[in-house]
Formats: sequence, C-alpha cells, structure tokens
Amino acid sequence: MIFVTIGSMFPFDRLIRLMDDWAQAHPEAELLAQIGTGDYQPAHMPWVRKLDQAEFARTVAGARLVVAHAGMGSVITASQFGKRVVMLPRRREAGEHTTDHQIATANWLRGKPGVHIADTDADLGPRIAAALAAGAPEAPIFAAEAPGDFIARIRRCILGQS
Amino acid sequence: MAIASGGGHWVQMRRIMPAFEGSDVFYVSVDPSSAADVPGRTYYTIRDVSRRDRFGFAVLIGQLARILARERPDVVITTGSAPCLFALGMAKSLLRARTIWIDSIANAERLSASGAKAGHVADVWLTQWEHLARPGGPDYWGAVL
Repeated sequence: MIFVTIGSMFPFDRLIRLMDDWAQAHPEAELLAQIGTGDYQPAHMPWVRKLDQAEFARTVAGARLVVAHAGMGSVITASQFGKRVVMLPRRREAGEHTTDHQIATANWLRGKPGVHIADTDADLGPRIAAALAAGAPEAPIFAAEAPGDFIARIRRCILGQS
Repeated sequence: MAIASGGGHWVQMRRIMPAFEGSDVFYVSVDPSSAADVPGRTYYTIRDVSRRDRFGFAVLIGQLARILARERPDVVITTGSAPCLFALGMAKSLLRARTIWIDSIANAERLSASGAKAGHVADVWLTQWEHLARPGGPDYWGAVL
C-alpha cells in the first residue's frame, strides 16, 4: 500500500489531486490517503480525513511507500519504520502554508538515502516510480535516537545542572 | 511537564524523551492516542488550536490552567507550537517554572512565529539550526536528528 499524507494541520489539495490522478493511471496500485480538511475528495483512491497518531504510525508501518508533504512528522515516522518517502513541499504563494519553510526542509532532506523530493507537480510521478523501483531502504533515513550529547545537555538543563 | 502539538512536534518530543529518564515527567499533547507513546506516565490531551481560533484559545487556557494547578511542574519543556507558547508563559508567570523552548527542526531558515516570541517566556530558548543562533538567543545545543 502507498500511504499519502498531508499531515494534520492545513489542507494540501494539490498533492491529493495529483495522487488521485496517479491512482487513476495506476489502477493496480493500492493506496490510502489522509486528506485532512481539504475540499477535494479523491475518486480513485480510498481516503480518510485524519488518522490518530497511533493509526498513523500503524499505517506507515504497513506501507510500501509514503508520499507526503515536506513535514517533519511524515519523514521522521517514515524513517522510524524504515520506509522510503516521496515529498512534495507546500508553497506559501499557493496558500498551502503560512511560510515557505517546507521548501527549505525539502532542500535539506534532498539526497538523504530513502528521501525522494519532487520539486514540481510533474516531478511527482517519476519520483514515485524511482522510489518504488529502489525497493526497501538499506538503512533508516535518520538514526533511531537523538544524538547523545544533545540529550545529555537537555537532561542537565532539566535537572538544573547547567 | 513535556508539552507538544501534534504531528511533527510530537515526534520530535518523542526523540528527546531519553532526557527525562529519572525525572517525574508528565506529558501534554493534542491527540488522545499519543498516550500510548508514554506508557506508565500521566498524559493530558489539550485542544489543538490555530492562532485565529479565539474560542479555542479560551478553552485551551482553561485546560492548561487546570493541568498546571494540579501538577505544579518545576520545569516545562516544549517542541512547539503556538498552544505550547501559552503553556510556557502561564507556567512561568503563575508557577515560576523553568521553561525550555526547542524550536521545530522544520524551521531551517528562520524561527517559527511562535519560536520568535518564545524568547520572552523561555529561560532556555533553542533553535535546532546553528546558523539561526544569535548572541542573546536563541541558542543552539544540537538537534533531535
């Protein structure tokens, strides 16, 4: 199953519309989309408004691929379950977010193993094809835990030692 | 008290949980199902509000006031977003709690709007991007990834 998610805050109909078109062109593919509060309702793939955190994690765990906005929840959860992720960043000028920070996130994540960035709408299909062809990633995108020195410093601060 | 909004804010909080080992920690977030991520710990659900939702903020402030009155935390730590800025402000002014703001790693080019304001209510004010650190804050201590 390919899990399509736009996160939990704002709608992102552009990605949902593109993936509905992709689903129509790939009738053999199994998909599930979390569409949030978007107006566009997919006709060619099953969808839900919002999964809770636990269902979201279970769905990512069972997915073959995650296709998402360029949100940290999506990429960290994909990494946690050893999945590849294709990301299309939201754009402020299109009213998809309050700032263009997802473009910065996409540029930072670009090139990390298991991350496939679609810079344009036309780029999404080829990125999905590349991600599916690449198979399961050899390693997760991120280490399983936060760096030890960061954890240690936060810990000392909480305990009032710094 | 460890408090975070949903989605990416909560998954970043999850990554710093090892820092709370040995502390009497409780958690606050927006999704009841997140309680499963913190077995054995007290977990409170608060309303998820955007900055424009005035009624939602009134409900949220009531929820935070009840939680703070009951738990009286010494330290409040958050990975954002806007609702957690209120939690820090209330904990600092009402309880004199020590407050820690860790701006989301999603904000690689500038602090989030809430993160920029957090300097006023956070005793420890952190960005996860070294190039965003400034003398006088925010500081950079590292990142969750």
